[in-house]
Amino acid sequence: MDAQTLLNITQQLAVGLLDSCKIFLLTLLFSMPLGLLVTFGRMSKWAPLRFLAPKHLIEKLKLAQSAEGKAENLPLGTRFAGGFFFFKPIQFIIKVFIAILRGTPLMLQLFAVYYGPYYLFGIPITNEYRFTAVIIAFSINYAAYFAEIYRAGIESIPVGQYEAATVLGYNKVQTFLRIVFPQMCKRIMPPVTNETITLVKDTSFAFVISYPEMFTIAKQISAAKTTIMPLIIAGVFYFIFNGIVAFVMDKIEKKMNYYR
Amino acid sequence: MKKYLALFLTMVMSVGVLAGCGGKEEPAATDGADTAERTTFTVGFDAEYPPYGYKNDAGEYVGFDLDLAQEVCDRNGWELVKQPLDWGSKDMELNGGTVDCLWNGFTMTGREDKYTFSKPYVDNSIVFVVRQDSDIQTKADLAGKTVITQAGSSALAALTDTEDNEENLALTASFASLEQTPDYNSAFMSLETGAVDAIAVDIGVAQYQLSNHGDKFRQLEEPLSTEQYAIAFKLGNEELRDQVQATLDEMLADGTFDKIAANYADYNLDQMVCLGKE
Repeated sequence: MDAQTLLNITQQLAVGLLDSCKIFLLTLLFSMPLGLLVTFGRMSKWAPLRFLAPKHLIEKLKLAQSAEGKAENLPLGTRFAGGFFFFKPIQFIIKVFIAILRGTPLMLQLFAVYYGPYYLFGIPITNEYRFTAVIIAFSINYAAYFAEIYRAGIESIPVGQYEAATVLGYNKVQTFLRIVFPQMCKRIMPPVTNETITLVKDTSFAFVISYPEMFTIAKQISAAKTTIMPLIIAGVFYFIFNGIVAFVMDKIEKKMNYYR
Repeated sequence: MKKYLALFLTMVMSVGVLAGCGGKEEPAATDGADTAERTTFTVGFDAEYPPYGYKNDAGEYVGFDLDLAQEVCDRNGWELVKQPLDWGSKDMELNGGTVDCLWNGFTMTGREDKYTFSKPYVDNSIVFVVRQDSDIQTKADLAGKTVITQAGSSALAALTDTEDNEENLALTASFASLEQTPDYNSAFMSLETGAVDAIAVDIGVAQYQLSNHGDKFRQLEEPLSTEQYAIAFKLGNEELRDQVQATLDEMLADGTFDKIAANYADYNLDQMVCLGKE
């Protein structure tokens, strides 16, 4: 294998790398804010039937949650009634959403988003929709994972800080934006870096709906030249790409360490 | 506060864009009824299937079939769109309307009632490739050996079809196992590393590998089966099929077809073309 061939393979892979980058950046751009919305839904305490609940039931449940004992020890009837009157529809829907997205393979989700319109609703799909489908599937899939990471970050803030904020006269929005959110961002950096690096490697899934990204192109060159060299070079490319991602995330993490 | 405003706007935008994307599924202009205003012709192919469709040094998709498709498009004033496919989902792509045809060393034999086909244009045979130093000489020697082929390929069909196929089925039953792989390149890698003992593969692809690695691999004399390649259109899309066929006939009459085949003489394609020879 001469230098000319190597250079040629590298050049062709660089083109594929651009496509992988496009998937990576757009997915991050959409899934990170979308994940925050999902977190809000997941943590929603809105229970529209609550006002219907009889007073004594509310008292009973409150008492059960205090030091006296656990809600689990209540009689079955009271627990069912509690489950009905305090049903949280938004939280329930989001829980199902997260369960589906985490419980099924990304590959299957790509199929569903891309072929779904035609096979379920008879809408013919176009070639241009291919890339859109990749971004939609990746974004909602990663949003589900990011949402749980965000939730971990938000729930790690001690309740005393909320109480202090109330004493200082902060309203709910101010408390979240000025106190909780900045701390959450600091704490979730390591798992977010994990997800981001996984995303770089997951971009190769896009070919299941025939969107050729770097790994697919490596395989194609490998077939045309009947050598495995393109696969090795692709591996190096992924490694460097992730090295850059890890470096940038580390910088951000250090920058946010302003109290330490 | 500006930071949070920016964050909020990004959130709103992402939702907006996602919603917008969902609404963009306008009817595809690929449904056959619209050949009058057709401007593009989308060919679905497996880009790991040299010499019929592969990537050249310039990073462009080329190959015997794609060269033919380009000429057909030039003559009809269409723009050729080359869409590499994950071969396992070729039917979903064709039926979903994202590609107009499958044109990629696509075997017609045995699939006649599943697609609308052009006239066959290449005589193909499925052969076994083994390692150069292997002791396998005939099909009978394959007994007790591990054989690999591409998932969804005609070679797999030839080995496993249950109708009128007793001879091949008996052969398959004699293998230690029959493995499947997404593309032939990894099949050749498995063969080279010794993970499998033989590959059942279309002769064109075998010739391409042998022309590069004649020292490593060897082809068995006796073919598994013979069959023909044709262009596959969505079942019932005869209008487009007829138009492409007319152009192909025209290319055959003025010698362009044979000229393109001659470019691939290294892989014996000029010996294999059969359009107009029946």
